[in-house]
Amino acid sequence: MLEIEDLEKSFSNGEQITRVLNGISFQVSEGEYIAIMGTSGTGKTTLMNILGCLDKPTAGHYRLEGIDMVDLDDDALAHLRNHKIGFVFQQFHLLPRTSALKNVMLPLIYADDYPDDAEQRARKVLESVGLTDRADYSPAELSGGQQQRVAIARALVTNPALLLADEPTGNLYHNSGAEVLAIFKQLHRQGHTIMMVTHDLATAEHADRIIVLQEGRIEEDRKVERPRDAVMIPKAEGIGENKQ
Amino acid sequence: MSTRHNTMEGMRALGANKLRTFFMMVGTLIGIAALIVIMAMGQGAEQKVMKKVSVFGERAVMVMVGGQRGPMGPQANVTTLTQGDVEAVREQVTGIEAMSPTVMRRNMSIKVGGAQTQAMVFAVEPDWHEAWDWYAREGETISAEDMASMARVCVLGTSLADTLFGDENPIGKFIQIGSVRFLVKGVLTARGSSPMGTDMDNRALIPLTTGLRRLFNQDYLSQIRLKLKDAGQLEQVAVQIRTILHDRHHITPPEEDDFRVFTAVEIAKMIRGVSGTFSWLLTALAAISLLVGGIVLMNILLVSVSERTGEIGLRRALGATRRDIFIQFLAESLTITLLGMLSGSVLGWIVALLVRNFTPMPIMVSWEPFILAGMVSLLVGLIFGIQPARRAAGLEPVQALR
Repeated sequence: MLEIEDLEKSFSNGEQITRVLNGISFQVSEGEYIAIMGTSGTGKTTLMNILGCLDKPTAGHYRLEGIDMVDLDDDALAHLRNHKIGFVFQQFHLLPRTSALKNVMLPLIYADDYPDDAEQRARKVLESVGLTDRADYSPAELSGGQQQRVAIARALVTNPALLLADEPTGNLYHNSGAEVLAIFKQLHRQGHTIMMVTHDLATAEHADRIIVLQEGRIEEDRKVERPRDAVMIPKAEGIGENKQ
Repeated sequence: MSTRHNTMEGMRALGANKLRTFFMMVGTLIGIAALIVIMAMGQGAEQKVMKKVSVFGERAVMVMVGGQRGPMGPQANVTTLTQGDVEAVREQVTGIEAMSPTVMRRNMSIKVGGAQTQAMVFAVEPDWHEAWDWYAREGETISAEDMASMARVCVLGTSLADTLFGDENPIGKFIQIGSVRFLVKGVLTARGSSPMGTDMDNRALIPLTTGLRRLFNQDYLSQIRLKLKDAGQLEQVAVQIRTILHDRHHITPPEEDDFRVFTAVEIAKMIRGVSGTFSWLLTALAAISLLVGGIVLMNILLVSVSERTGEIGLRRALGATRRDIFIQFLAESLTITLLGMLSGSVLGWIVALLVRNFTPMPIMVSWEPFILAGMVSLLVGLIFGIQPARRAAGLEPVQALR
């Protein structure tokens, strides 16, 4: 479903060029739950921005359901984000003084056609994250975990192909974080494709597959071993990385 | 995504931060209120001017003896304006509807029985009534027969008639003007105050011939009154008359004239003079307050754009295009100025009504200022909203989400 091919990204501050991503290749199949790990400065946020179509790579290709975002203009990228990608951020990014329901409905107003049943859809996803009775609360009236669940509902309301989560538990206490991860697990079981950036191994191990970045390259790409499916997957280099 | 939704998002953002919205609005509010009041005052003043001009006559030209001295003060000792001048004007100037050479004297003593008062006396031709659009309320006006026979008849202004006769009917009674007895044959309609503030109804009209021969014993005039067919010709006719009189009186400018020509246009200008400058000043003040209001609005919007980069980044991540963001922020600024316009209009309207009811200032509340207010606030919203909206739309989603 996702094909990432020789992705490079460098930033220039006028004098010197910093290479943040240095040839990243991997593929994601539908329904996978992947954690992207790495210490800070290894390019995981940059990779996440590109995977979220918020930023374009300097070189390489990124195909989302066959569409290469490198070829798309600004408006088409916005459209793609709206249709195909659901974002969950570390800081939740909910609109203040705006009800949970309205926050969840926000992506729908940027759709091609505003659905007639926008409110029902929003209520339904709020229900699926267990916030039926908090629909009319504003973010300030909700706990951190509840806010993040509203954000997840917002990410799901457009029924996206890919759910991108950037340190979704980073601002949460242990219990709330666990709730969020439980929701991800459930979404994964329902067949959603999820990519989650984290620096925490315990969090990452909730996923099926872990990709570890180091200095802009994939250092490790492995399946997570589960007690029940003890199939050993050898530590593999990135699938496309050998092409370089 | 539709403009409607973007606009609604903008309005929701305003509703979510009411204090900021109020501060952004207040400049427009004050500017528009000031604009409404000032325009109402301007229109009130103009209405007053037009009223005064209509007392003078909208199509009227007056030729008066005397040079630079007071505009309405004909000088009895200037003897150069003659029937010959009148004939020359009648022959050379086209477009005259009515014309009356006039001799005028102020402060003539007038007696009835034991009562005595003072009034203006005008010796006029029958056309005078038409030239002034001023006819008799009762009785008759000055006629051609009166002229031919140098009849000792007079028509009284209402004030003079009241002073002399009170509730009695003056028609058929005799009065003494100077040392000559006149029969009252009519009473004029009331005209009110002149543009210069004198009571125009404290007067007596007598036939011109009677005045020249029997009362004043002179052969020169003090005024010529003309009414034109077309108000558009006023200034052109004034120029023509000046040329004719310069020629006949052997005056070469810059030599001082021994006459003055006034038209309705000049009277209006004269009355407007002071109040005009005043209202321009106030209008400039309103414009400045709108400008300041607009700049304040733009500044707060710019600050709010930087405060809300997170929101902008989020919206972009959720699928908003640059255009969506631009429209949302422009809608915010337009909504603010629209709110400012509405509340400013109400405030201005209330102030105008207060001024009308509690001060002697002339004020007229009409719909035009509100239309203008609408357009001006739309313009302010656009001009000062575009820059912040462009800045918001120009943010890169990645930068904005950081």
